[in-house]
Amino acid sequence: MEEQSRTYILEASDLSVSFETDAGEVQAVRDVSLSLKEGEVLAIVGESGCGKSVLCKSLMKMLPGNARIKSGKILANGIDITGYKERDMAKLRGTLFSMVFQDPMTALNPTMTIGRQIEEAIKIHNPHIKRDALEKRVIELMGLVGIDQADERRNLYPYHFSGGMRQRSVLAIALAGNPSVLIADEPTTALDVTIQAQILDLFRDIQKKMHTSTIFVTHDLGVVARVADRVAVMYAGKIVELGTTEDIFYDARHPYTWGLMQALPAYAKGKEMLHAIPGMPPVLIDPPRGDAFACRNEYALAIDYEKEPPMFRISDTHHAATWLLDERAPEIKPPSPVCSSFLAEGDQREGCEGTAERKKTSVVEECQNDAENRETLVAVNHLTKSFSIGKRNVHKAVDDVSFRIYKGEVFGLVGESGSGKSTVANCVMNLCKPDSGEILYKEIDTCCSKEFRKNKKMLQCERQIIFQDSTSSLNPRMKVKDILTEPFRIQHITPKRGTLSAEAAFQLTYVGLDNSYLEKYPSELSGGQRQRVAIARAVAMEPELLVADEPIASLDVSIQAQIVNLFRHLQKEHGFSFLFIAHDLSMVRFLCDRVGVMHDGKLVEVGNVEDIFRHPKHPYTKALIESIPIPDPHMERQRAREKEHE
Amino acid sequence: MSKKEIGIYIIKKILLFLASIFLLSVIVFYISRLAPGDPLVSYYGERVEKMSPEEHDWAMEKLGLNESVSVQYVKWLSNAFHGEFGISYKYKMDVLEVISGRVGNTMLLGGIGFVLIFTLALLLGILCAWHEEKWLDKIICQVGTVTSCIPEFWFSLVLILFFAVELHILPSSGAYTIGKEKDIADRIQHLILPVTVVVMGHLWYYAYMIRNTILEEVRADYVLLAKSKGLTKNKILFRHCLRNIIPSYLSIMAISVPHILGGTYIVETVFSYPGLGTLAYESARYKDYNLLMVLCILTGIVVVVCNMIAQTINERIDPRIRQ
Amino acid sequence: MDTDFQIVGIRNTEDRTVGRHTKWYQGKPLISALLLAVILSGCLCCHLIMTKDPGYMDLAHYNEAPGGEFLFGTDTMGRDIFSMIWYGGRISLLIGVLATFLSTVLAIVFGSVSGCAPEWVDSLLMRFTEIFLSIPNLLLVILLQAILGKASIFSISFIIGITSWPGIAKVVRTEVKQIRNSGYVIAARCMGGSFQHVLWKHLTPNFASSIMFMVVMNIRSAIIAESTLSFMGIGLPLEQISWGSMLSNADKALMTKSWWIILIPGLFLTVTLMCMTNLGNYLRKAVNRKESYL
Repeated sequence: MEEQSRTYILEASDLSVSFETDAGEVQAVRDVSLSLKEGEVLAIVGESGCGKSVLCKSLMKMLPGNARIKSGKILANGIDITGYKERDMAKLRGTLFSMVFQDPMTALNPTMTIGRQIEEAIKIHNPHIKRDALEKRVIELMGLVGIDQADERRNLYPYHFSGGMRQRSVLAIALAGNPSVLIADEPTTALDVTIQAQILDLFRDIQKKMHTSTIFVTHDLGVVARVADRVAVMYAGKIVELGTTEDIFYDARHPYTWGLMQALPAYAKGKEMLHAIPGMPPVLIDPPRGDAFACRNEYALAIDYEKEPPMFRISDTHHAATWLLDERAPEIKPPSPVCSSFLAEGDQREGCEGTAERKKTSVVEECQNDAENRETLVAVNHLTKSFSIGKRNVHKAVDDVSFRIYKGEVFGLVGESGSGKSTVANCVMNLCKPDSGEILYKEIDTCCSKEFRKNKKMLQCERQIIFQDSTSSLNPRMKVKDILTEPFRIQHITPKRGTLSAEAAFQLTYVGLDNSYLEKYPSELSGGQRQRVAIARAVAMEPELLVADEPIASLDVSIQAQIVNLFRHLQKEHGFSFLFIAHDLSMVRFLCDRVGVMHDGKLVEVGNVEDIFRHPKHPYTKALIESIPIPDPHMERQRAREKEHE
Repeated sequence: MSKKEIGIYIIKKILLFLASIFLLSVIVFYISRLAPGDPLVSYYGERVEKMSPEEHDWAMEKLGLNESVSVQYVKWLSNAFHGEFGISYKYKMDVLEVISGRVGNTMLLGGIGFVLIFTLALLLGILCAWHEEKWLDKIICQVGTVTSCIPEFWFSLVLILFFAVELHILPSSGAYTIGKEKDIADRIQHLILPVTVVVMGHLWYYAYMIRNTILEEVRADYVLLAKSKGLTKNKILFRHCLRNIIPSYLSIMAISVPHILGGTYIVETVFSYPGLGTLAYESARYKDYNLLMVLCILTGIVVVVCNMIAQTINERIDPRIRQ
Repeated sequence: MDTDFQIVGIRNTEDRTVGRHTKWYQGKPLISALLLAVILSGCLCCHLIMTKDPGYMDLAHYNEAPGGEFLFGTDTMGRDIFSMIWYGGRISLLIGVLATFLSTVLAIVFGSVSGCAPEWVDSLLMRFTEIFLSIPNLLLVILLQAILGKASIFSISFIIGITSWPGIAKVVRTEVKQIRNSGYVIAARCMGGSFQHVLWKHLTPNFASSIMFMVVMNIRSAIIAESTLSFMGIGLPLEQISWGSMLSNADKALMTKSWWIILIPGLFLTVTLMCMTNLGNYLRKAVNRKESYL
């Protein structure tokens, strides 16, 4: 017993955390037991609202005022710290554990230089440190996290730094007190793919050098595969599966874990649709009886609706909470893609012949048959658009971009934030006026205001847009049915289904929501449902061109899969052309026929999806594709080894 | 920022300042001349009624009031450039002389009020923010809302009623007892009630503003980082949050000057306190044009300068916006 | 085999709507609403309540303390304060509403134009408001009153209204700017929605809620302004009864120590203002605040 508790740096047993809200008590974390060994990286995976972030904050007792630990214990180095007062906790924070946050843009105090913020972190636990020793330590820490020219940069304010650099600074602050445990709460979610790769490498480096244990919270299984030794899968405030990374990725037992993995485009190769988990996560005010996941689980047993499953032991390292592991339960063959054989074959880029075959044939056919006679719907020629920042600085958001979208195809536009992809979309939709260049829609120059006015009605009916933020794209004071029929009322068109209300009902069913939603306001819907309504509104006019600006970026993994499936389905039914703007390369690969890669306002590469992903020509495209985390630990480890050899 | 840029910045600000003051003087000049009523009343008092038309015209000519408004304005402006603002019709003295006798009183009242308001507001703001949503905060907020609803003039009346009329412990009007101009204790006695009204009328507005600024600040993500590195609650509040609200606090202070000045004007008239407020009130009622112009421009300068200071603070001091 | 362990798959569980824990009356300014309703209805139906003619100067009973015949006493001119309160309250409230109506209309026009116009127009308009604000309010009111001549209910409402719009205008402007850049307006424009459509379907319903607070607060400040002006003798004359003008002969009351002449109208005034403030605060857009990190 003594032995064991010493090896665990941090331990939580039967921890439950609740929030008092106006609507009632939210049980954010329910009976979680967890332990962290020295030097290991434990990843906590789950969708938003599953309690993973609350769990981390409760370990450091940094919960907001309306939250409280209802039961359970937190042990640090075998000492119970559950009852510690703020003052005692302040002493532990920074030395025993410290934290890295999701959004580096807001985590730093904007009015203090980076150097002073790091200094402060050092001084808290070492108040009598000499001035020169302090400065040396600051520069050392900045070097450790990979900020060069530390001597000059420490006098800069956070706004001088990019997101990646800020996250490095936050890491430096977190490491200032030599903590034994580093808790990282979605540290790379807000960053671009290439920066994410750098920060993940940095985490691994530091972890190796300093032997800190790390708790890594994320929703991205690819990131998990890259960094974690052990994985805990959380759902509705509970840990549903816990095991080594191999256990989870190659021998998952919980249906939720299966669902999470199948929802990834990487597992959907060769398939028409992503495997989406139906439904939504439960509200944690008065959680449902039995297994919270039962109502979304196609393998749910009768008992799941009655009784909560205990943790079943699969091996010493592997545990899962599902009745499927009970000896009385029927044998279930886990759905195929999760079994290791699929991924073990090796490189994702080479491995999925199935899809490639399907896509290739279609592409080849198209290329052969239609290369010349494929009809162009949108042609963007030498598009340029700049924005002025301040008085003198001009930022070229879009710089000489040319591409075309053929009829009935899905064209993806990928790039990191600030690469100008949204500006292109806005120009295509006439939301902003380009400085030069032309955009031809069905041979009509839409940038020329005369031509635009002549074909105004047609253009407004045939081109529709969907935004990233579904909250702001629906008027909070209009009911769903009014939102859906707005385009008809604007254009004074009689809808196909006769009356406006019949049309609204039809469109709503079409995107997979039932008629009870017609009378609701947007604030009563979840993010995924709102995005469905926005899609229904856009599709209602039966557009020829649908522009979607990051439509899934703010949604959860399982909801993303649902929406992408919906896009696929609608595109098949309607045959509209689709300009899909995204930063998630694997989704683009799954959904799109052709893709354009944007970098600093320039379109660096255009081509068929598979061509680009298999044989990227431009170095930026290469870097971009290489930084996608792959949800397969073996491959990630191999990659890491390769990198080290270099 | 280079020296040249600073130079351009300052020149721009000065030009803007002059333009605002010029515009203000034009507007006030025209509005006051357009208003009906006889300006001679303030000069000659009741005698105006008995004047013959000839006498009346002669008086108008003597005071330069018979020309067109535009000509009057040009004359006024050219005189103003030489530092001559004319004589007050009512006091038959040079306008600047009349004002200089009063400006000290207003500055004393406003200054003490200003300092008190902002020290107390900061303290109350911090106290409330520290105990957010606890009973202390709730009580202070309730009491504060009540005090902010009481009209200043009525509050003055109530204070006079109790402390001067009923209890006879404090004087009800004036800045000093006649014959005791130099007695500091007497002056303080006369200041207590007006200052109380000025402070009570504005305190909660600013305290609440500061409370909310702090509360917004403690919800910023960097507080979480500061906490996770082991800073204690009061260190986070004083070293990080308060430091970050200083720019907005200073700009609130600058913008508030005209508001508080406006407040003292009302209080001065209720307490018949010999300050600029009573002067402005009288000059507007009795059409003492020259005096009115200078008072308006003086107040306008204060307002514009304060707004500029606030703007400069917002633009230059805060590194977040300086970017 | 145990029936419990049969695969049943996805079952539709009943839609569990989360019930609110709080009662309907919690967090609502009930007392304020009730008090305000009493005062309002009292003022509106003053003819039913008044025991005397409020304008009648009963020279035999001047400066009488509250008692049997004169519930709240009489003023220095022998008018019954109880009757004057209700009668004068009606006028004070009317001025508040009229002035606010004027200033709100002005503010909405000004703010919407400023929020929708191109940038240079916007900055020009904003400069104008700044200069307008830099004229000391009290002086402006005095001057305007002088131009309009003898004060009446309408002239004083006009003056207060015309001097108090910049505050709401600024709120309207930011609100319009924000809504104009929101997804639903952009989407409506993409679909070909005309300016009219955007204005009536999107802009108006969304900023109406956010300026409600400002409107209530403006009624409040208009009432304060009226009473202050009347008290100072620039507003309504003594004969035109309002809460402010009732206080304008306070100096005489002070000399005779007639506390009721000062305290009672002021109390009514303050209570009304307080209720309005509470209501206004309730109407203020409830910001969904996250918990403090401290």
